[in-house]
Amino acid sequence: MSQVPKLTRARQLAGSVWPGRTVDGYSNLIVARLRRLAATQSTGMLPFAGHCEGGVFFQDGLVVYAESSRTPGRPAGGLAPLGLVPGGTADLPPGPFGKLADMLAAVEPTVDATVELLSSESRYAKFRQAGLPAVPGARPIPLETLLAEAARRRQVLRQLSVTLTADTIVVRDTRLAAPRIKVTAPQWALLSRIGSGATPRGLAMELGRGVFATTIETYRLLVLRLASVPGYDPPRGRGEHAAMSFTRALSEERGI
Amino acid sequence: MAYGFLFGVVTSLCQAEGVTVILPDAAELLAPVTGIDGFRLACLIDAATGMVVASIDDQENTVPRAAAGAADIVNVLALMNGGMATEETFEDVMVTFSDSFYLIRPLRRATEPQILLLLILDRLRTNLAMAHRSVRDFCASFAG
Repeated sequence: MSQVPKLTRARQLAGSVWPGRTVDGYSNLIVARLRRLAATQSTGMLPFAGHCEGGVFFQDGLVVYAESSRTPGRPAGGLAPLGLVPGGTADLPPGPFGKLADMLAAVEPTVDATVELLSSESRYAKFRQAGLPAVPGARPIPLETLLAEAARRRQVLRQLSVTLTADTIVVRDTRLAAPRIKVTAPQWALLSRIGSGATPRGLAMELGRGVFATTIETYRLLVLRLASVPGYDPPRGRGEHAAMSFTRALSEERGI
Repeated sequence: MAYGFLFGVVTSLCQAEGVTVILPDAAELLAPVTGIDGFRLACLIDAATGMVVASIDDQENTVPRAAAGAADIVNVLALMNGGMATEETFEDVMVTFSDSFYLIRPLRRATEPQILLLLILDRLRTNLAMAHRSVRDFCASFAG
């Protein structure tokens, strides 16, 4: 039983057979609008409303920031929520690693929000001149790079959707399948908050981590049988869960 | 002088078409590994998302696929390590192909992989032991 909502799934299926429509047609409209803004080297914000509110900020045709009501912004508590430094450490580690981690912390919320804006049933409004938000370390990203990364992530999420989406409720599994098991710090942070029911998106918002990364980490907990999806009965003999593969996601994205 | 030369190489390689990385200006951080004998490609990958963070590459369209493969390998090893509950930490992976070596190593030694370095080397021009040592030293200096 797929974890994708019935309405979304119906639209995906119908989109492929309606004359003049393509799968995820609405997302294509958004992409076309974004491409026009990039081509005209626009500066300002494209706001989104509806199921997922937010905006994409452009400067001279490059995306400098994106935000969404369904993803967390840049973590206020420093880099610890991203798992880049030990928990409780808000300061940057010295040297190149600190520089890189800071760059990544500034970019990840933008990518995460873009994936959400392209996936949700939102609609864009009129592009407006707007001041850029005060995001420390914000870096310009070429639109095509951002779209390529968003497409890759959507393929990974599609793989997982058989078992899990960002909005699927998972529960902690108290029946350990192995006598001992080891979890990483990010996994433990999730496990300790899942309790009797939580969604990857809820956990991401609570922890200030990316929704995409949290969904993947939650999937790993399912594979380790430390968490489960209530009511999901995995097919026997073909692996417990849909296998996640970054490599396969690239092939599927390019239709190979 | 040497660093300036390396930076020039980095800049020109990053301008190659078809390379889509999220932080192209972070490629300069990889300059030291371009000096390893037999160097072909280097990139940094966010293990949590599989995203290519930075890369230096002389072959079009090689980076995304190589990075995805490296992230998958580390993902599988992390799941294996979790299931076996060893008290060990993941250090690196070395893969040998007929013409090349693949080295995958987290930038920081930690309980879980975070940002990975992937290095592809020409097997005929590389001393694997020396390259491994160079990568280890690079990661140690990178972590600060």
